[in-house]
Amino acid sequence: MTAPYNSVLEVRGLCKSYPSFSLKDVSFSLRPGKITGFIGRNGAGKTTTLKALLDLVHPDGGEIRFFGNSGFGEAKTRGMVGFVSGGADFYPRKKLSAITDAVRGFYPTWDETAYSRYMKLFDLDHGKTPSQLSQGMKIKYSLALALSHGAALLLLDEPTSGLDPISRDELSDIFLSLSRSGKTILFSTHITDDLDKCADDIIYIRNGRIAAESELQAFVDGYRTVLLDTAEAAGNEDILIGAKPAKHGISALIGRDSFHLFPQAAPASLDDIMVHLEKQNSVPEADGIPGDAFKEVSEC
Amino acid sequence: MLKLLKKDLRLALHPTCILFLLLSGMLLIPNYPYYVVFFYTTLGIFFTCLTGRENKDIVFSAMLPVRKTDIVNARIALAVIAELAQMAVAVPFAVLRSAIGGANMAGMDANTALFGMSFIMLGLFNLVFFTGYYKNPDRIGMPFLRGCIVTFLFIGAAEAAAATLPFFCDRLDTPDPAFMTEKLLLLAAGAVLFALLTALAAHLSRRRFARLDL
Repeated sequence: MTAPYNSVLEVRGLCKSYPSFSLKDVSFSLRPGKITGFIGRNGAGKTTTLKALLDLVHPDGGEIRFFGNSGFGEAKTRGMVGFVSGGADFYPRKKLSAITDAVRGFYPTWDETAYSRYMKLFDLDHGKTPSQLSQGMKIKYSLALALSHGAALLLLDEPTSGLDPISRDELSDIFLSLSRSGKTILFSTHITDDLDKCADDIIYIRNGRIAAESELQAFVDGYRTVLLDTAEAAGNEDILIGAKPAKHGISALIGRDSFHLFPQAAPASLDDIMVHLEKQNSVPEADGIPGDAFKEVSEC
Repeated sequence: MLKLLKKDLRLALHPTCILFLLLSGMLLIPNYPYYVVFFYTTLGIFFTCLTGRENKDIVFSAMLPVRKTDIVNARIALAVIAELAQMAVAVPFAVLRSAIGGANMAGMDANTALFGMSFIMLGLFNLVFFTGYYKNPDRIGMPFLRGCIVTFLFIGAAEAAAATLPFFCDRLDTPDPAFMTEKLLLLAAGAVLFALLTALAAHLSRRRFARLDL
């Protein structure tokens, strides 16, 4: 069942300044029932953005709307949003049963049947403590809690960091199945491989600014990679995006408008795109990039 | 707020808060600075907040459907419960100490006035510790150190007063039930001051915590 909202989460002009880092005019929205990958290198502003969404940090400006109108401060909204952090270890020495007992009373929407079902599905033992669980199992327990209080939107902060490939694949399967049941997922990660399998949309943050917001496939289709020798590269600096040394020559990205100039160009992976875009001094304008992938930014 | 208090009792309360209640029995030691019994309560509160930091309790609580200010209210309510429980458990030991008789040569007698003074001491601790703690819950050592300094300065001043001021020596630092009117008045004044100082601590802590980026 898909939620009856045009946008589950809408962020407009979010700004936050720290002495050494700033979020600048961060704007994006999430489509209901879709998995959106929130990508960017470490320190790009993913966690700060999520913290601002969750009221953990006070933005200097901007607007955040969950489910059409309300901010995260409202109790009803909090019940409909589940936060799962890959790095958080809440009460690692308490039994899962004790943590659940402490949590369930806060949610009038708590569904004990769903909780038992998810605990069984994820093979979680009430008698264990988080410290006895693998990182992947901890994520599953957090998901079980969020889903049992009826979260329609799941905010996942680096849920696959530090996981082995099999656990990452397993979690991707879970995210896909949740998305098919109508849950909306915002999935922050710097491991872009995880998104290839499950994400519908992509939000790319770079140096505290949203560099791209697009459907994943359209975003990836908007680029190709080329491998050139130094002489060829020298004549095409204006076209090449994020040129960098490769094992045999120069590797670079090209936008859709330049595809015809380099018939040998190969399809680019999300990883290729991020690596080359990060090499750019500034984010290029929407030159051959599909839709409104690159967004104009303004200062707060 | 009550749900958060229940959560704090279930998850956050450090076991020493319970164990230190038994230290109320130290009122039976013939010669001892009895204020120290109530200092142990503050140590239990510190351990609760310290392990809360290690367990990421504040972010855990902030994710629940509660108001941010209720996180502060619940934690201070937990501290007040621990402090009042220490007082309640100490009462029978103080009664027994008075029944056994004999003046305390190391400080205040274990009498009604001691409880009134200890209320003031705990109120001062709450004010200094919690307002510092909620300025930055990650840096809990300094607020506790400041709380300890204020507590021990208070103990030093109170013991000095008991040793030197005639009204204190002759009326307040005497075994119960002598001079009960004066002692009961001090107890009431201490309880009122404890309530006022703790309410101020909660007010300032809520304001500081509301401004905090977690």
